[in-house]
Amino acid sequence: MPLNPTLAGRLAAIVGEKRVLVRPGELRTYESDGLPGYHVTPSVAVFPGSRDEAVAVVRLLAETKTAFVARGAGTGLSGGALADDVVLLGLHRLKRIISIDADNARAVVEPGVVNALLTAAATPFGLHYAPDPSSQTACTIGGNVAENAGGPHCLKYGVTLNHVLALTVILPDGEIVQLGNADGEDSGLDVLGAFIGSEGCFGVVLDATVRLERNPQSIRTLLADFHSIDGAAHAVSAIIASGIVAAALEMMDAATIQAVEASIYAAGYPTDAAAILLIELDGAAAGLDVDVERVAGFCRDAEARAVRVATDPTDRARLWQGRKKAFGAMGRVSSHLVVQDAVVPRTKLPSILADIQRIGAHYRVHVCNVFHAGDGNLHPNIGYNANDPDESSRVHSAMTEIMQACIDSGGTITGEHGVGLDKLPYMEALFTPGTLGAMCTLRDVFDPEHRSNPGKVVPVHSCREWHAAPAARARTGRA
Amino acid sequence: MADQVRHARATGTPLRVVGAGTWLDAGRRCDATHRLELGHLTGITRYEPGDLTLTARAGTSLAEIARATTAEAQWLTLDAHGSPDGTLGGTVATASAGPLASAYGTPRDHVLGCEFVSGTGDVVRAGGRVVKNVAGFDLVRLVTGAWGTLGALTEITVRLRARPEDDRTLAVEVDSAGTAWSWLRQSDYTPLAAELLSPALSARLSLGGLCLLVRLGGNAAFVRAAGDAVTALGIATTRDAETWSTLSSVEPTGTITLRASTRPSRIGELWPRAVEFAERAGGYAHATVSRGVVRCVLPSTNDPEEVRVIRDGIRELAATSTIVGERMPASLWTPSAHKQSSAMLVGRVHRAFDPDGIMNPGILDIA
Repeated sequence: MPLNPTLAGRLAAIVGEKRVLVRPGELRTYESDGLPGYHVTPSVAVFPGSRDEAVAVVRLLAETKTAFVARGAGTGLSGGALADDVVLLGLHRLKRIISIDADNARAVVEPGVVNALLTAAATPFGLHYAPDPSSQTACTIGGNVAENAGGPHCLKYGVTLNHVLALTVILPDGEIVQLGNADGEDSGLDVLGAFIGSEGCFGVVLDATVRLERNPQSIRTLLADFHSIDGAAHAVSAIIASGIVAAALEMMDAATIQAVEASIYAAGYPTDAAAILLIELDGAAAGLDVDVERVAGFCRDAEARAVRVATDPTDRARLWQGRKKAFGAMGRVSSHLVVQDAVVPRTKLPSILADIQRIGAHYRVHVCNVFHAGDGNLHPNIGYNANDPDESSRVHSAMTEIMQACIDSGGTITGEHGVGLDKLPYMEALFTPGTLGAMCTLRDVFDPEHRSNPGKVVPVHSCREWHAAPAARARTGRA
Repeated sequence: MADQVRHARATGTPLRVVGAGTWLDAGRRCDATHRLELGHLTGITRYEPGDLTLTARAGTSLAEIARATTAEAQWLTLDAHGSPDGTLGGTVATASAGPLASAYGTPRDHVLGCEFVSGTGDVVRAGGRVVKNVAGFDLVRLVTGAWGTLGALTEITVRLRARPEDDRTLAVEVDSAGTAWSWLRQSDYTPLAAELLSPALSARLSLGGLCLLVRLGGNAAFVRAAGDAVTALGIATTRDAETWSTLSSVEPTGTITLRASTRPSRIGELWPRAVEFAERAGGYAHATVSRGVVRCVLPSTNDPEEVRVIRDGIRELAATSTIVGERMPASLWTPSAHKQSSAMLVGRVHRAFDPDGIMNPGILDIA
């Protein structure tokens, strides 16, 4: 898109010259998000420093009919915050925690507040913000809302959707609306629910009222290591079926363990294990150790070599650091990384993990599995060298086959990272034209001009075909 | 189903979406001339106990789901007030919740996927049958609680929970709603449900005074310790789990029911006013304390003077709380007590999915 020469000037009049980037060298900082492998450059980047500035910027973009992409910390793993020759609207400066209401366990925050800093601010009240993506030390609440972010502890506490009570958003046309109800029940259409996870296509969050969780009285972290991935997968199934709701239930395979242990994030995982489970149980002290013993029993029944229980906070933090920094550790091993985020029904874990191993071997690619086993949310990652066309092509084929296997198992293509740009090709394998059409319809309500994060989430041609053919559908009755 | 909707669209026939018919007497306006019957769409189509998920056709009764899941020591933790003959589709379409929402949330927190026929006659399969899913825009949340105005639900996948090893209900008399709230806020033992009953309702359940009914679930050691903690509030008596279904079954049919809600910390102020309102009209109230929701149940009336008094009472409550109607005489439904600031956006969503206004027209008072 050729940049309107006066636009940068008008943006600078709102936010100040230093907060508008136009030079290619400066814009290169924003050419990728958390997923390496994509490089596109925004036409201009603008960083409002207050809510009023953000509103004025969005309204100017509306007035000039300019397409834009909202971005928080840029830690997303689906290419969702990529701005390809459109305006990049950075919101990380809107970082005020407006209020914490300890009595009602909630906080009102601006979109640029870093996830972990919200928990830090809530700690004196014995509270925390539960959704904990691995990028939580950097990612922002605005981005979390856009992606409906998850994290290990969402197994027990729920994802972002379950923690947002209300939002103030500015629609792409500049209108400001309140979604949800912070002062009682919300009734009627759940537009708040529809907005969460809309990946920046429906508008921009100006503030969010989020629910905080009380810190548990006691926490136990178990490390169980296994001879085989299959054993670990069966232990997961047994724990889920038992009804014990772990706070988190994570799996890492040998390749991941070795990458972590070779890095500065080494957590003391056994490097000769085929797989480990990191299991956290929390809640009231009474009865907690009974559950710990039962969970340890399920692991031993599945032929775990050893089960270690950590209670000391430093020890637990070390075990978790290895898990949370696993993606970073993989970065040391290879120059490029494909990150996937499929979900399968939990009973399908043993078979899908076997499928993934088989597919990886067939295409001679190096698959590392690190994932939220308790949710069935897989992250099969493949490190590779993008400059090697043969390897790149094998990686692509393997991933396509893995994703299809997940869909065939009754699963989905993304559990928490979002579709963005990276998973667009799989949308048509997962959804019928009727469903994709309904998504296009919903997008049109919020952003009829398709200026807010254009080209993401739903394939553009699906929308075009859908809009082009209503009469034909009515005649044939085909959805 | 899609054919019927397309035909209605072509002929300009407004439809009333009907499952078990439980909500037909809710008194909400609905300008439909024909019915779109879903009651025949029954049966559980997929149940994987190991996945803790279940898929059923929309007309399947909650009782049937309870039977199937109980056999696997699991349950669907949606205990909306009313008859167990109510359907899954009706529960989701109306976003109805009961005491268990205290721990498990409302239908929006349970529905993983659904199939619906939109007002354009298109079949949409939203979400899926896995417990975590962000693929595409969230049409599931959009139709949950939409009262059929965007489309008719035909099949729904829900998340289940394992039944707790120990499930114990205690009744304890408290001196105020504020006391109950303070205890819940500081307790290390989160109950599955904690419902406050007004004296008139307590009496119906052979309980005394202002009574907090607490449901504790977990392993035996947890439930024992939590039970001990409840006694800090007063003398607690053990009740059987059926008390919870009695809570619904003592409700006379055809009552006027509405909910007043606020920030949970303000329940201490809202509760006495809501109770006074309900009991003055010969009814009772109960509250899901941790959610800040008070449900008022009043005897049915068409007497204009009594209706006027109720309307004035609702107006007074609405000054400091959010009012959501469940069942009321048509004369009480207007004007809409709760206006969303996003009303214009809601109207646009509605017109996009039901451009001809044929799906339960008027029922949600959408602009």
